[in-house]
Amino acid sequence: MKKGQSSMIHKKKGPLMLFLVPAFVFLAVYLFYPFVLNVINSFQNIVGLGQAASGLNAPWYLNYQLLATDPIIHTSLKNTLLMMLCTIVFQVGIALVLSLLVDSIKIGGQFFRTVYFFPIVISATALGLMFNLIFLYNGGLVNSLFEGMGLGVVDWKDQSHWFFTMASPVMWQYVGFYFVIIVTGLNNISPDIYEAATIDGASAWQVVFRIKLPLLHNTLTTCLVLAITGALKVFDLPWTMFPNGVPLDSSWLTGTYMYKQTMGGAQNIDYGSTISIMIVVLGVVVSQIANAVFKEKDY
Amino acid sequence: MKKTFAVLLALLMCVGVLAGCGTPAASGSGSGTGATTPTGDGVQLNVVTSYGQEDGNRANFVEAVEEWKTETGNDILENSSTSDEAWKAQVLNDFEAGADPDVLFFFTGADADPLVNGDKVVSIEEIRAEYSTYADNMIQDMMPAATDGELYAIPTIGYWEGLFYNKTVLDAAEVEAPTADTTWEEFLEMCDKIKAAGYTPIAIGADVPHYWFEFLILNAGGIANHLNLPTADNAARESWIEGLDGFRELYSRGYFPDNYLTSTNEEAKALVADGDAAFIGEGSWTVGWFATNADVNEIGVTYAPGTEASAASEIITGVSMGYYITRKAWDDPAKREAAVSFVQHMTSNEVVGKMTATASASNILATPSDAATSFEDLLHETAYSMVNGATGKVAAVQDIAAGPARDTLFTSDIPQIATGNMTSEEAVDNWIAAFGA
Repeated sequence: MKKGQSSMIHKKKGPLMLFLVPAFVFLAVYLFYPFVLNVINSFQNIVGLGQAASGLNAPWYLNYQLLATDPIIHTSLKNTLLMMLCTIVFQVGIALVLSLLVDSIKIGGQFFRTVYFFPIVISATALGLMFNLIFLYNGGLVNSLFEGMGLGVVDWKDQSHWFFTMASPVMWQYVGFYFVIIVTGLNNISPDIYEAATIDGASAWQVVFRIKLPLLHNTLTTCLVLAITGALKVFDLPWTMFPNGVPLDSSWLTGTYMYKQTMGGAQNIDYGSTISIMIVVLGVVVSQIANAVFKEKDY
Repeated sequence: MKKTFAVLLALLMCVGVLAGCGTPAASGSGSGTGATTPTGDGVQLNVVTSYGQEDGNRANFVEAVEEWKTETGNDILENSSTSDEAWKAQVLNDFEAGADPDVLFFFTGADADPLVNGDKVVSIEEIRAEYSTYADNMIQDMMPAATDGELYAIPTIGYWEGLFYNKTVLDAAEVEAPTADTTWEEFLEMCDKIKAAGYTPIAIGADVPHYWFEFLILNAGGIANHLNLPTADNAARESWIEGLDGFRELYSRGYFPDNYLTSTNEEAKALVADGDAAFIGEGSWTVGWFATNADVNEIGVTYAPGTEASAASEIITGVSMGYYITRKAWDDPAKREAAVSFVQHMTSNEVVGKMTATASASNILATPSDAATSFEDLLHETAYSMVNGATGKVAAVQDIAAGPARDTLFTSDIPQIATGNMTSEEAVDNWIAAFGA
């Protein structure tokens, strides 16, 4: 780099702004503005999507009062937190294990990258329909196998099994997403470090725990934040498999309940707005906690 | 040069971002006859209907659409879906989002209030001011009025609700099919025998309790009281409570499928079609489905059992859906002509006659078509006999309740009532508090 060139690069902000401003405008119009409107809507009475508000609620904080007392909100929060935990342990956890394994092999790495990433490409709704057939009570794949083995049929969507039936495809679909992120993180580790470790006589386990995992810290933090916020707003697959919180309002998630209130028949738009604000606040709080606990480190 | 290139790239990105904006197409679940670019001067109409893949008249609908396209050179972009609660909400959402279709086949009761009140659909009176023969082939007294008393939609067929049964299952359980004289107690005895024989007496999905809701409310309150919505102190409140108690009785006796709480109406229909269940409460739109998915000599239709308040032969029937022309199409001179032509074709004597025969529905044409009045298969013969032997007819009370009111009761409360987690009184009083007059 020529002398003085670095200072000139920092002075030329014009082209930088030209590329940043359109994205910011897009975000402002399609993200910040709707969010502000949602906050306003949560205090008003709106009974139809797109309809004008018919004044403030009475009292104006009615929706927030309802939020605190609605038993289905409590159910959805509990289920969502469970889903978040499963996402962290299974999605990110399994992705980490798979990436470490794939990183260790010389042949076939690209094949596994493709295969593990493939489920993400499939529409979540299509996956929901497919898993509906797999877990169908009468004649579904799993129950047909069970009957063939003399084990009897299981209602995979009843109150004892619904969480497993909902979480399995959700976990399966997004393992590949985190796998790709973590593999990229592993690829960014300099081979010189592995060489030095080998020279120093480090075992494979020591390489994993003393080199790979510490250097993956920031990548894993990113994955955790993505997993947490993703679990808060997961909707399509759970709604396809468990519409209207079946069975008996026990399978609601924050995302599905918000959809139900806004577009799913309840037509309670202002309450749906309130729930969406709760989801955003929860997402920000939990991700900040995650960031604070798993502080970014420079190596 | 570099600056110019950077500016051009930025502008290109802005254009790319804005290119995705615009009025979205009206939605449905996606049954379609396929949108094609109109040839010549043809107009393309955006049409939303309930003639989805599961509707018994789907084939007649598609055939009629293709005829119209060939005759007129116009085209349609069709979105059809099953007329469940989710579809009703989605149609209304599309209007709110500005994605109005040009022609809509939709419900005519309280469900259409947002469309009528928002001037989203055109009244028949207004259409007749320009097209004087519009809908003149219908029995005018049977045209369904909106809640404001005006006519907006042209129906194709009336609907009826009844009890479909699988004769093979009944024979195996040594039970005769219910008749117009079957009482509630006799029906319970039949179900006990069917259960003892190893079959599911009543197939029903947790998502569609609509038909048993009507049967049980009618049995409790009678025809004269049926179309009253409950208030804190009227007879309708009592009949709703009694009816919902009847629903819990059916569940607690073990007449429903083992997985009732998580099952769907599609699974329930399959149980009857496959000979695993005896009865299912359904409607005229399902005749075609059973004709396609089961043996037409194995499935029959009969009356839901009666009580002292309401004989079995008093049935739920009426006209609840029809073709609307939207304000959006009406205000577009090119589309107005095409929309009127399309609706008139789809409600012509020939098309309506075919649909009436397929569903064994009641005639609504001023000049009845040459549809058959006797049939060789059990399904159509018994459906026709049931409808034409009815001694009393009343429309479904749920059609005068708004969507959100139905949604809470049907999708959430009724399964809770069935399992005893909620009493019928609680559910009805909650309903009155939230949605009652």
